[in-house]
Amino acid sequence: MDITSSLQNAEALLNLWMHGMDYPDLSRIDVTLPPRELKSAVSILKKAHWGYLSAITGLDRPAPAPTAQDSANVPAPDGAIEVLYQFCEGAAVLTLRVSVPYSAAIIPSICSIIPYATLYEREAMELFGVTFKNTPDSDRLVLPDDWPVGVYPLRKSFTGFTDAQKEEMVE
Amino acid sequence: MESLANQKKFIVPIGPQHPALKEPGHFEFTVDGEIITGASVRLGYVHRGIEKGTESRTWIQNLYLLERICGICSHVHALAYALGVEKLGNVDVPPRAQAIRTLVAEMERIHSHLLWLGVAAHEGGFDTLFMYTWRDRETVMDLLEGLTGNRVHYSVNVLGGVKVDVDEKQADAIRRGVDFLEERTKYYMKVVTTDETFLGRTRGVGKMTTEQADELGTVGPTGRASGLTRDIRVDAPYAAYPLYPVQVVTGTSGDLLERFIVRIKELYETYRLIRLILDKMPTGELTARIPRRIPENEAISRVEAPRGELFYFLKSNGSEMPERIKVRTPSICNWSSVINFAVGLKLADMPMVLSGMDPCFSCNDRLVVVNRPTGSQVWTWEELRQYGINYYR
Repeated sequence: MDITSSLQNAEALLNLWMHGMDYPDLSRIDVTLPPRELKSAVSILKKAHWGYLSAITGLDRPAPAPTAQDSANVPAPDGAIEVLYQFCEGAAVLTLRVSVPYSAAIIPSICSIIPYATLYEREAMELFGVTFKNTPDSDRLVLPDDWPVGVYPLRKSFTGFTDAQKEEMVE
Repeated sequence: MESLANQKKFIVPIGPQHPALKEPGHFEFTVDGEIITGASVRLGYVHRGIEKGTESRTWIQNLYLLERICGICSHVHALAYALGVEKLGNVDVPPRAQAIRTLVAEMERIHSHLLWLGVAAHEGGFDTLFMYTWRDRETVMDLLEGLTGNRVHYSVNVLGGVKVDVDEKQADAIRRGVDFLEERTKYYMKVVTTDETFLGRTRGVGKMTTEQADELGTVGPTGRASGLTRDIRVDAPYAAYPLYPVQVVTGTSGDLLERFIVRIKELYETYRLIRLILDKMPTGELTARIPRRIPENEAISRVEAPRGELFYFLKSNGSEMPERIKVRTPSICNWSSVINFAVGLKLADMPMVLSGMDPCFSCNDRLVVVNRPTGSQVWTWEELRQYGINYYR
């Protein structure tokens, strides 16, 4: 199947659920989904045998720093974690983009549909602090056992440990 | 072992340290007698935070950092990254540079496949084959050193091209080396497919159907031995592969033996490609200019590493440093497949099944057999290997 028909096929399959769509280049389609639609979208791709899940990429999108004009009374906007599910079919790449705010960083796990997503989900969980609801295994995968709870190294806000955290780790 | 035999079920943690081989990792196998009933993996013993590190280094510095992700397939990492950055920067790389990148990528595949063949033979107790393959692997290591100056991190790429050229003298040396290796590879094919003792460890072991391979998300030669026709060099040709088309090698039976055969056949294909590249090398420049600041965008770069698809996601923000770089190595795909696939296999087959997948494989110093709830017994990886060999004696 050539790239264009793969991409069009993906677009047709996901038409019902998408909240936004973009063709960033000739071989890619980006589809924005609300978290609650993720599992339906992944199921339909799997049923239609559209490619395979190649990667789950986390992206930190912190809120912009408050400027002088912002009133002190307005609560600071919440940052968001974006999770990209990259599917490949031949040369075509489909990205499902799901964005959740820091305060409710919960995305349904897709392991019931694609069991091998477990390692990808575990990695994103530790490094970005996203919860994958109902993921079968949430043990540490890559971070050390004494890594402090609630510190997510791939968030932009992480620039090193505080002294208190260092001490905690030594203990 | 007697007391162990009375227990119905025990857990076998393997790892994490093993000084003799490549990398540390920790697996836990739950076993019922000889049969594995569950498996899990814990990685991270060599997690270096490279993805985070890229965010505070310039695009150029990252080329050298990312090349050091792996000491076996270093070139493909630099290649995938460079191709991604060139996509972001809208830079057209000269054809000669792309051909040289492809040449080095294929030479790297030779060294990686020969290294794997040796490791796999060793795990099966066939040390003669291990010695032979590693001796012959030196041929391609020397050629790489002659071409690039380095044995491991060749550092061939720059953003926008390559920094080494191939002259006629080097091309002849590579041709001679490839001729020699092709003869040796034919011999390995004969050994692997006719040695009855070795066949006892590989034929029908760890069989994976095409459906299973697809379901478990395997990539590279492991998937192709089960009939999956996934090869990025063919599916989405990059660098100079559009000029030098690759014949994808697949197998049907999906057992360990087939994984040996597929990798050896891939070596033949690699020798053919190298000769073709050397005979039809485009002329021209080696580099194109690339801006220091990369315009804001996202790019995906996929290449076929010796172990399968290597996936890079790059996001730029218009500055001299990337916003985010995500690396998904082929080994993590094959890890997921191992932990799902191990169930139902024999413990004695695990050293071979693990190395048969050619995961950039975390080898294992301690094998602790925990006999719950009465206590534990410690094995080394060496003892597990020996256990496997004795089992088939």
